[in-house]
Amino acid sequence: MNSGEAPENSAFEEAAPARVGIYDRSGKKLDQPRWVVRERPVTLYMNDREVVTLLCAGHHLDELAVGFLYTEGFLRSPEDILGIAIDHEAGTVKISAREDGSITERLWQKRTISSGCAKGSLFYFSLDALLSKPVKSDIRITPGRILDRLEDLNHLSEIYRRTHGVHNTALADSDKVILFRDDIGRHNAVDMVVGHVFLNRIPLEDKMLITTGRLTSELLIKAAKVNIPILVSRNTATSLAIELAASLGITLIGFARAGKFTVYSGEERLDVGLPG
Amino acid sequence: MSVYLDNAATSFPKPNAVIEAAGRVLKDVGASPGRGAHRHAREAMAIVSDCRQKTAAILGVKDPDRVVFTKNATESINLVLKGWLRPGDRVLYSAMEHNSVIRPLTRLASQGVIPEMIPCGPGGVLDLETLKQMLSAEARLVVLVHVSNVNGALMPVEEVAEACASARVPLLLDAAQSAGIQPIQAEDLGLGMLACSGHKALLGPAGVGILYVRPDLDVPPLMEGGTGSKSEELEQPEFCPDRYESGTPNLPGLAGLREGIGYILETGINRIRNHEIGLAHYLENELWQIPGVQVFEPERRGSGAVSFVVEGMNPADTGSILDQAFDIAVRTGLHCAPLANRTLGTFPEGTVRVSPGFSTNIENVEYFLNGLRWIVTRRA
Repeated sequence: MNSGEAPENSAFEEAAPARVGIYDRSGKKLDQPRWVVRERPVTLYMNDREVVTLLCAGHHLDELAVGFLYTEGFLRSPEDILGIAIDHEAGTVKISAREDGSITERLWQKRTISSGCAKGSLFYFSLDALLSKPVKSDIRITPGRILDRLEDLNHLSEIYRRTHGVHNTALADSDKVILFRDDIGRHNAVDMVVGHVFLNRIPLEDKMLITTGRLTSELLIKAAKVNIPILVSRNTATSLAIELAASLGITLIGFARAGKFTVYSGEERLDVGLPG
Repeated sequence: MSVYLDNAATSFPKPNAVIEAAGRVLKDVGASPGRGAHRHAREAMAIVSDCRQKTAAILGVKDPDRVVFTKNATESINLVLKGWLRPGDRVLYSAMEHNSVIRPLTRLASQGVIPEMIPCGPGGVLDLETLKQMLSAEARLVVLVHVSNVNGALMPVEEVAEACASARVPLLLDAAQSAGIQPIQAEDLGLGMLACSGHKALLGPAGVGILYVRPDLDVPPLMEGGTGSKSEELEQPEFCPDRYESGTPNLPGLAGLREGIGYILETGINRIRNHEIGLAHYLENELWQIPGVQVFEPERRGSGAVSFVVEGMNPADTGSILDQAFDIAVRTGLHCAPLANRTLGTFPEGTVRVSPGFSTNIENVEYFLNGLRWIVTRRA
């Protein structure tokens, strides 16, 4: 198969039954199948040069590849893309692009080097330092709307309910979830969302990204690269993510569950109805 | 292409004659100058003497014996500050000084010395009128960087020297960035002391510093020890240069420095200055054309050092990317001059400093500019 079309995002394609042994306390074995999420390697190529192999659930590969290559600096605009060739059987996505990406390749995964002669950088990868910019956004949102959209996310993940084996990510505005993606890797799910908005030129300054994964520096940097002003998770944040959020002007919200959440950074975007 | 633009830290590449001279000393000479009468020691001594003569010539000092070799400019400056200043002494220093001045002064302040800062303009040049007012009260010393290592600002050294002479206050000139680029006449200027390094624009190897002390100024040495002279006496010799040169000198460094200065004298210091400052002006003009780049231009330029920042980017990140993606060597950060960065408004992250040397050509500069343009375009 060689097609630019992603397969249907169906729970039955992402999950598969596995024959397992389930035991109770007495040692009694219950002979019944369990549903597990599929995992497969997918190798990304840029202008015929191998870039990386990702382990993923195997769907929305065009979005995954484009989102990954965009956040890593290999792509700059949709016009850069001359073609996307997906081979599901071989597990490859080949992107041909206007720029050859060789300079970016030299920087890829290179750690920033500081001389110790000044206040150093918060970034640890050179490409992150190059591509991350402070987020510009006037968005304000009520706590209730944030929790409503999180609730929406929880209802959207059929695969999670079936397998408990994926991370979910949603792009939402204050009224609704606009896009939902899940994958075995939380970064993959975010890359799919980024890939989708990149290919469809969806502006992000009035949106929030909701994820089930931890709020780490890597996630924060991805958000900064695409100008997402609010990050929400039902999980916790790391210290570096909090530092970066403050520096990059991102509202960072964790532990969003059971009707409340923790704001680590950027409280000014919360519309709590106080007189101005 | 690999481009080295960090000549303000140390010049690279060195002229072949410098490399060969340092190597030849290690291979063929190998003796300690002034510590023996054998042929090797005599040849070593001849190299040091010749280096001293050339150094005196390029710094405008008539008597070569007034030229002292130390290990670097920092040691030369420490020698003066710690030898000359006593508790209660007032010392004036510019707002563009390097840590080689600021750190010893900070320590001396804790021992009762009174340092007072002379303000500088936004481009880094000293405010002469304020200095004159400050000199109306008694002072023991004025310390001035000749050319800023951060942005190449040239200080009005003639006017400052004149003001110091009128007030009968010795002037210590830090010529680390200017020696080899700017013509210096230490005696004609009436400098009290001059400190510089041998490995920057003087093109020598690292490990040699230079100090000149005016004969009427009695500055005690920082160290005492063997000099190869007056060995029967327990006290340090009083004459120069032995008073300040204890221990075995850096012969390969001095042999290289001799050739480095020889190269400059042969080439012509004005030609070197025009080349480096010409490249700096070109760099400044081109940098201003790149959106989001801010250049910290001096009112008067004395070297090729150009400082800039890319808006929203830590200078360390800019330098890191230039290195990793393009093999371009620049210096980033505060350049060991936090005070100068406060003056320029670039503290605490500092700047990216590009410093072409005499061997830098326009293709090297264009290659750097294209690398920077790539960075800026990528951020857009």
